[in-house]
Amino acid sequence: MNYVEIDGGIVKEKVYRKTLKNGLEVFFLPKKGYAKQFASFSTKFGSNDLKFSKRDGAMVEVPEGIAHFLEHKLFEEPEGNVFDRFAALGANVNAFTNFNITAYYFTSTDYFYENLSYLINFVQNPYFTDENVEKEKGIIGQEIKMYQDNPQWKVFFNFLKGMYQIHPVKNDIAGTIESITRTTKEDLYNCYETFYHPSNMVLFIAGDLDKDQVFEEVEKNFENIKVSEPVNIERHMSKEPDEISNNLVEERLSVSTPLFNLGYKDFHVGIRGTELMKKEIIIRLLLDIVFGKSSTLFEGLYDEGLVDHNFSADYISEVDYGHSILSGESTDPYLVKKFVDEHISHLKVNGLDKRDFERIQRKQIGEALSYFNSMEYTGNSFVSYYFKDINYFDYIQLLKDVTIEDINEYLMKHFDEERQVLSIIKP
Amino acid sequence: MKNHSREEIATGVTLHTLHEDKFKTNLIKFYFRRPLTQDEVTYNALLPKILQRGTEGFETSKKLSRELEYLYGAYLDGQVIKKGESQIIDFSLGIADLRFVDDQRLLKDSVNLLNELIYKPYRIDGFFKKEYLQQEKANLEKKIKARVNDKNRYAVERCIEEMCENENFRLYEYGKIDDLEGINQENLFRYYQQLITKSPLDIVVVGNIDKEVIKKELLNQFRFERQDIIEIPREEIMVKPKEVKFVRESMEINQGKLTMGFRTNISYDDPTYPALMVYVNLLGGGAHSKLFLKVREERSLCYYIYSRMEKFKSIMLVSCGIEFTKYEETVEVIKQQLEEIKKGNITDEELENTKKAMINSVKEMGDNVNSIADFYYGQVITNQYITPKELIKSIEAVKKEDVAAVGEKILLDTIYFLENGQQ
Repeated sequence: MNYVEIDGGIVKEKVYRKTLKNGLEVFFLPKKGYAKQFASFSTKFGSNDLKFSKRDGAMVEVPEGIAHFLEHKLFEEPEGNVFDRFAALGANVNAFTNFNITAYYFTSTDYFYENLSYLINFVQNPYFTDENVEKEKGIIGQEIKMYQDNPQWKVFFNFLKGMYQIHPVKNDIAGTIESITRTTKEDLYNCYETFYHPSNMVLFIAGDLDKDQVFEEVEKNFENIKVSEPVNIERHMSKEPDEISNNLVEERLSVSTPLFNLGYKDFHVGIRGTELMKKEIIIRLLLDIVFGKSSTLFEGLYDEGLVDHNFSADYISEVDYGHSILSGESTDPYLVKKFVDEHISHLKVNGLDKRDFERIQRKQIGEALSYFNSMEYTGNSFVSYYFKDINYFDYIQLLKDVTIEDINEYLMKHFDEERQVLSIIKP
Repeated sequence: MKNHSREEIATGVTLHTLHEDKFKTNLIKFYFRRPLTQDEVTYNALLPKILQRGTEGFETSKKLSRELEYLYGAYLDGQVIKKGESQIIDFSLGIADLRFVDDQRLLKDSVNLLNELIYKPYRIDGFFKKEYLQQEKANLEKKIKARVNDKNRYAVERCIEEMCENENFRLYEYGKIDDLEGINQENLFRYYQQLITKSPLDIVVVGNIDKEVIKKELLNQFRFERQDIIEIPREEIMVKPKEVKFVRESMEINQGKLTMGFRTNISYDDPTYPALMVYVNLLGGGAHSKLFLKVREERSLCYYIYSRMEKFKSIMLVSCGIEFTKYEETVEVIKQQLEEIKKGNITDEELENTKKAMINSVKEMGDNVNSIADFYYGQVITNQYITPKELIKSIEAVKKEDVAAVGEKILLDTIYFLENGQQ
């Protein structure tokens, strides 16, 4: 068997990789001693992909929420629904759609290879009819309404609408009642034929399994599936301006205390691979130093009663966009913003403390290590980084290589009040 | 899971260790158990919060956090949970395993932090610091009020509250706002002393830590002063509602939230309990279940629907999000599914798929550090120690007639519906 071994360094894990003839990338992560087995079959196609060229070259624009709609519908086959087949083998099958990826996965403790065949086959066999597309609209409609009642979800999407002027990341992943109502089976097939080609997909497998057998069984499953030639997928997206759309977005909902998202738009975008991962790591360290539980800023906000333990900071790192995001609940989000602005101005003058940096670096190494307890988390991270030309196993090494100078550079660059958005959900 | 052992290491202090070397991290949990009562509930909710504000050695949360960060992001947290009519105050310490980070003092230093957190609170004139208490009271008040923010959960909790209005199970695990005014640094501290000396305490350790090593470390560092360990009373569970209670409430929302509460009248130590577990799972335990197939897939009434057990209180809850106008139809379809099971209209395939799904989750439980700890602590509460293998056997033995027979005992108690409108 010819596959490439990727070494995980200090986490003491290995991943094996092979590219099949049809262009599919296959990864296997051995997990000795685990009862659970995991496989995910993912396509680089998410809610952001709304305008693209079809295989025949014609450009199409599809309704918002289509990637998620397609995810729901792939579970249907002429013989009925796919859940039953997995259930008969005791496996749990599910899927998720995010801005950039749709992933179908199962976990099992037995009959792994049978389940794997089911997974590969149902994802490769779309069955969309006018009738079953119509039926799904009721279910997705309820999913959208469930999110409309979720204040965390609302404050986040309002934040994105403030942050982005034209980028589709500002749209709800599931679309709107209006956009799903006009979705047709032709739209679904257009997307399927463009984005579900094996060369745009990744199969990730983990568990206490034999690696030779894993790769043999995978190849067997694709032997009889004829696929067309891979084509370069052309996505059409206008360039997102560096400027934000709106620095303040407010909405009312029935909540007890205001919720807020506060963040900064990153305009240093368009990079991929190691460079992109390095940027992500630097900004994550920076955010943790400035806003983390041990920071002077957090202590001040907490003692003033302005935030509680729900306060957190994160950075979203994609090839074509990026933003940091602070979220929490506060009786006075405007005052939180004032505290943050003043504190950051002060830090920009004084720079960061080296001891804080070294400590947070140790903290994040420990956290990154702990994520390897979960094969699902490891698999999903591996795949989403792979689509950005990044090897997830490089994470901890890059984290160790970051210097305080890198962090100070981003302290000056990232926190730009011109590119800051505050989103609030008020009671 | 290998090498499970259990030993009383001090009065009313049981150490449970589960040696497992496949994880990157190790977990140490302290579970203090209290009865869930009107008088104690808010005290219990406040305590883990005030303890996290500072200790003798680390007077502020910031200092505590800095130490944790330095210890490779060790995780230290305290919270309350409700299991039946018990309220558990639970402290967790999660640390990187020494095979992956080079720091030989990690275990000792982090166990020291756990000791500081639980047994050496920061004090002024013998009691908790007044300012810390004020802040944590304000935060707890906010948290209790925030219950309305998660509408799906809110509907389930309100259903329980209405259904058990005369039982302690109605109490919200984070307590009552009315109690906060009467709590001061002195009475809370006195309560805290009672709690740590008299509550049954179980320490669960999961990971690559040798039993003798952790036992020695705990006994070296901790001074367990223990006396008059309290008994926790068993819940009242046999309830036959005279009539179904209907509760409707309104809020400005987009989707109606329906919760139906049932009395199962079957205790966790009843021989038919495995059949009840199968019943609940077959009804609404996932994509293979009757509720998913009938209410969602056939009628497109909802996106989410499930049934679940409150094991220690023998209650079953069914919950879903629907159009406001579909209330009657949904209640009807759900009731029909219960009737179907009672009549024994269960296919072999349904029964087998349900059992397989359940067995799969029992097996998967062993792959998660936290699930392992919770599984074993659940056994402490029921005082029934069975291995995952034995649990699987008991599920496999359940027959269709057993599931139908269980259905005879399950009685609808309360229907709660959260609908749209001004409050």
